[in-house]
Parts: sequence; C-alpha cells; structure tokens
Amino acid sequence: MDTNSIAIIVMVVTFLYLGYQGVPVAFALISGALLTTALFTKISLPSIVGQMFNGINQLEFLAIPFFLLAGDMMTQANITARLIRFAQVLVGHLRSGLAHVVSVSSMLFAGISGSMTADVAAISTVVMPHMAEEGYDPAFSAALVASASTIAAMVPPSIMAIVYGAVGNVSIAGLFLGGATPGLMVGIGLMVYSYFFGPPGVRKQRATIGEMVTATRLALLPLMIPIIIVGGVASGVFTPAEAGMIAVVYIIVVLLPLMARGHIRRLPRDFMEAAVLYSLPMSAVASASAVGWLMAYLGAPDIVHRWIEAVSGDNRVIIMYLMVVVLTIAGDFLDGVPAIAIFMPIIVSLSQLGHIHPVHMGVLIIVSLAFGLITPPYGLILLLSSTLAGVTFTRALRQAVPLYCVYFLVITVIIFFPDVVLWLPRLLMPTSVGCFPNPSGAGFICPP
Amino acid sequence: MLVAPKPRVTVRAARHLKWPALDPLERGLMVLCALLLLGFTVVEVADVLCRNLRRPWLNANEFAAGFFVWGVFLGMGVAVRRDQHFRLTAIAQTLTGARRTLVETFNRVVVLVVAISMVVFGYRNYLTGYGSFLMPSLTPIAVLYAAIPVAGVLVALFTVEELVNGWRHGFEGQREEQGLEAGQVPVA
Repeated sequence: MDTNSIAIIVMVVTFLYLGYQGVPVAFALISGALLTTALFTKISLPSIVGQMFNGINQLEFLAIPFFLLAGDMMTQANITARLIRFAQVLVGHLRSGLAHVVSVSSMLFAGISGSMTADVAAISTVVMPHMAEEGYDPAFSAALVASASTIAAMVPPSIMAIVYGAVGNVSIAGLFLGGATPGLMVGIGLMVYSYFFGPPGVRKQRATIGEMVTATRLALLPLMIPIIIVGGVASGVFTPAEAGMIAVVYIIVVLLPLMARGHIRRLPRDFMEAAVLYSLPMSAVASASAVGWLMAYLGAPDIVHRWIEAVSGDNRVIIMYLMVVVLTIAGDFLDGVPAIAIFMPIIVSLSQLGHIHPVHMGVLIIVSLAFGLITPPYGLILLLSSTLAGVTFTRALRQAVPLYCVYFLVITVIIFFPDVVLWLPRLLMPTSVGCFPNPSGAGFICPP
Repeated sequence: MLVAPKPRVTVRAARHLKWPALDPLERGLMVLCALLLLGFTVVEVADVLCRNLRRPWLNANEFAAGFFVWGVFLGMGVAVRRDQHFRLTAIAQTLTGARRTLVETFNRVVVLVVAISMVVFGYRNYLTGYGSFLMPSLTPIAVLYAAIPVAGVLVALFTVEELVNGWRHGFEGQREEQGLEAGQVPVA
C-alpha cells in the first residue's frame, strides 16, 4: 500500500473515530485533514485552513440562507398549517388518509424550504398528534415523516442540489428541474405504500366543494412560493439566490401582513435563528471542502476510479449502482451536504468514466444521500423524526424498512431511464442540461 | 409533543456549562448574525433592482460575499455555545461518571485544537490576504480571511467555557429545554 493510500485511510479513520466520539462533524473533518497534512504531506497547514474559506466562497451558496429563512418564517408563522389543511382536503378522505396528508404536505413544503429538517419539524408538530389520535403507530408516523421529508432534498429549492451544483460546477437549475420527477415519484410511492399497507386510520368523508375552495383559497398565496422559485429559475429570469431572496421578500411583504400579522414582531428572531441555521451546513461544507481538496491531492479519485473500473469497466449501470451503494453508506455516516463536497472529485471522475450526464449523476447522488439519511446505522433524519414522535430509533427503523422499497424502485428507474431526470430540464430549460440552439432555428439539439 | 421554546435569545440548554457573563456576547453575536443576514438580503434586493433599472451595482457581489462569509464563520462560533453543530452521535450524553468526563473532555480538547489551528493558520492566511484583492473594488481579500481567526477565537472561548464548567460542576446535569434548540439538528 502506498503512502497516499495510508494517508487517505488515516484521514477517514480519524474523522469517523472523532465523529463517533461526538465531536461535531465540522471539527472532526478538519481534524482529520490537519492531522493527515501534518503527517503525510508537504502542504502547509495554513493552506488547509484556507481551503475552508475557498470551499464556501462561491456565489451559488448565497441561495441557501434565503431558503432556510423562508422555511423558518413559514413554519414559525404557522403558515405551513394551511398547506397541511390543503393536503387534507385533497387526500384526507382516502384509506390511511393522514399518511397521505404527510406525503402531500411534504411535497408542498419541500417546494419552499429545501430543508429536510425544516420539513420534519413542521410536519411532525402539526400532523403527528392527529395521527396518534387516529391510532397510527407513532413508529410508523416517524418512519413516514422521515421518508417523506427526503423529498425536500430532491425537488427545488433543494439545498443539496445547490451545494452539488456549486461544488461540481453543474447547472443548479438543471438539478432543480431534474430532481422534481424523482421527488414526485418518492411522494407518490409512499402514498401507494400507505394506501395498501399502512394503518387504515379513521375514514373521513370526502371534502365538500366549499371546503376545497376554502382550503385552496387559504393555501393559494403560500403555494405561489414554489411557483416563483421554479418559474423564476427555470425561465432564467432569476438565479437560485435571487429566487430565494424574492421568496423571502414575498413572505415578508405579502404573506405575513395578510396571514400572520402578529408574527411580524417576531421577524428579528427568525433572522437570528436562520442566520445560525445556515452557518451549520456551511461550516460543515467549509471543512468538507478541505477534506475533498486533500482527497483529490492524495489521488483518492484515481484510486476509487481504478477500483470501480476494475469491477465495472465503463458500464454506466454498474458504476451508478456502485455509486448508490457508496453514497448511501456515506449518507448513513455523514450529512449529505459535506458528503457532496468530499466525494465530488470521485463523482466527477466516475461520471467521465461512464459518460454519465452530470445532471443525471447529480440527481442520482442526491437521491442516494437522501436515502442514506433514513437508513441504519445512523439515519439522521429518521433519528430526528423518531425523537419528535417519542419512539426509539429502532422501532421507527423497523417501520421504515418496508418504505425502502420505494427508494430502490425510484433509484432503479433513475439509473435505467435517464430521461426520467432529464426530460423536464430539456423541456423547460434546455441549456441547463447542455442542449444548444439548433442553427436552423428550430428548437434545441441535446447530447444523448 | 414539542414544546415551543421560551422566547429568549440566549441558549437555555446545559446552563451548568455556561458562564452568565458570556450571555451578552452570545446575544450580541446572534444579533450580529441576524444583521449580516439582513444586510445580505438587502444587498441582493438592491442588486436585482439596480440591474433592472439598468444601473448595475458592480460591488454587490463583494458585499454579498462579505456578509455571507462573516455570517458563516460567526455562526460557526456561536453554534458551539448553542450546541447546534451537526454530530454523528451524542454518545457522550449516554455515559455517566468518569467516563462521561473523559469523553466530554476529549471531544472539547479536539475542538479546542481545531480552534487554535483556525486562529494561528487563519491569521497567517489573513496576512497573506493583503496581497490578493476583491474585484472590482480592489479591497484586500484579507477582510474576508479575517473571519476564520475570529471564528477560531469564539470557538476556543466557548469551548474553554464548557471545559472549565464541566470540570467544576460535572458535564452531566439538567439539559433543560433541549429539544430542537440544542439538539444536534442537521440541515439537509
């Protein structure tokens, strides 16, 4: 084994050891990088610390605070409850109605915050007590809320997509649009599972037209936010950061005065909370960037590249499955955002090996990382939802295992049918997936 | 059921590990972070408005990056006091007695070493930052690099606070109102 391989192993083992001792991820990561640099390389330590700065000094990241602030304001002002009520009149009358409400609410709320944590917190506090009243096993509720919240990582304005786009130099608009279909597939898959295999709940009457109109009217203004974000970014009118800023301004200027006037006094607190909240993933990204940079310096992408090439040749399907396995395991141990920064050099190298479209690969990686957040041994999001539901992680995990089928299915569809990811960006924003205007003037020419 | 936290800015969790004298600093940092986020929002609004008025504001990105970078690193510092950083496990909290003290001390010493590295090596970067410039204003990039040693000082300060109080009063104790406020909640 050569020195570089030993250095990589030392860095990874240091991070995992410190991480599992309870050292915060950002500090465990940078500790591994500093130790490895000092022991095995001639790189100066200030340049490793400098990489922390370079890792976050990218304009694309400016979108993240806005989406977190938007999600925080919507939750704190209780505007989210209107979306949940809207979901209730749409699907609440079906068998396992509240389970469907969780899936639909997550799809709607995901389109505003892009944060799985915000999604879990918002949906858990409002829907879980009602699920308990209707006799749903709290462990099932926790598993479902956690699984549904992963949709936030896939649909716009996914924070993982922003980080992936910024770190990997891939179109964020393409990732936003490309992730929408898999996100919907996960949501619908969870609904289908709940309908056939979930607890029956209490059957309710279908909402009347009047109730539907009222719920739609109340939810209409909040539902404009995903439309503003997707419409603005897809049409190329806004960058993701500007779309986030406009969503924040829309909430402050339109939604709060009309729907939660009393909350306006609480705005300074929202800003304080969101300000600290966005620094958490970003400080992890800062440290992960240093680790990713050092990994690249030590030749980790080449090592993994050679290993995967030996197993798969240039077979894109096997490469993608191997990446799913690697990234799902990584998602178990590590939050998705720093994982992207660490693995990006390897992802780029393998995308080139298998001639895989960067947006296609990006969406697959994001879905895999999101899946990792609800799988054992760690399952960060499942841990959070089980805490909020007041059940042990193990009980929630037992209920979550059957839901994994939905992810296996979605991941397989993504791998075998790239168009599931690429059709929407090609339709709405062809340049985001490498298409260019046809010289004859009719439409676009897209790479295969 | 989730209980809404009391409307206080200063963190309520693990008070036995905090010095009340540092509460005003935490409050001040929270306000500063909020102001940076507000400034960043205003800059973005102004940038879009100016562009649409066909009078582009050329320095907008410099200001936005400045607010963003300082916000991240100051937030990194204050999140140490609020115990909000992502963690893989909360293994130490399941332990008691001497083992708990040992693990908690070890973890904080690691954070302290990283903080000192951020101060020392970040300061060296800060000095070299006078040789590179932000465009188009030609402001030395050192104004952004300075955020790292400052964050290092804050991280070190809040870590020492917890170490000293942990040794004095024990790391165990009522972790009141922990919930989401201090619960290693990731944002993903």
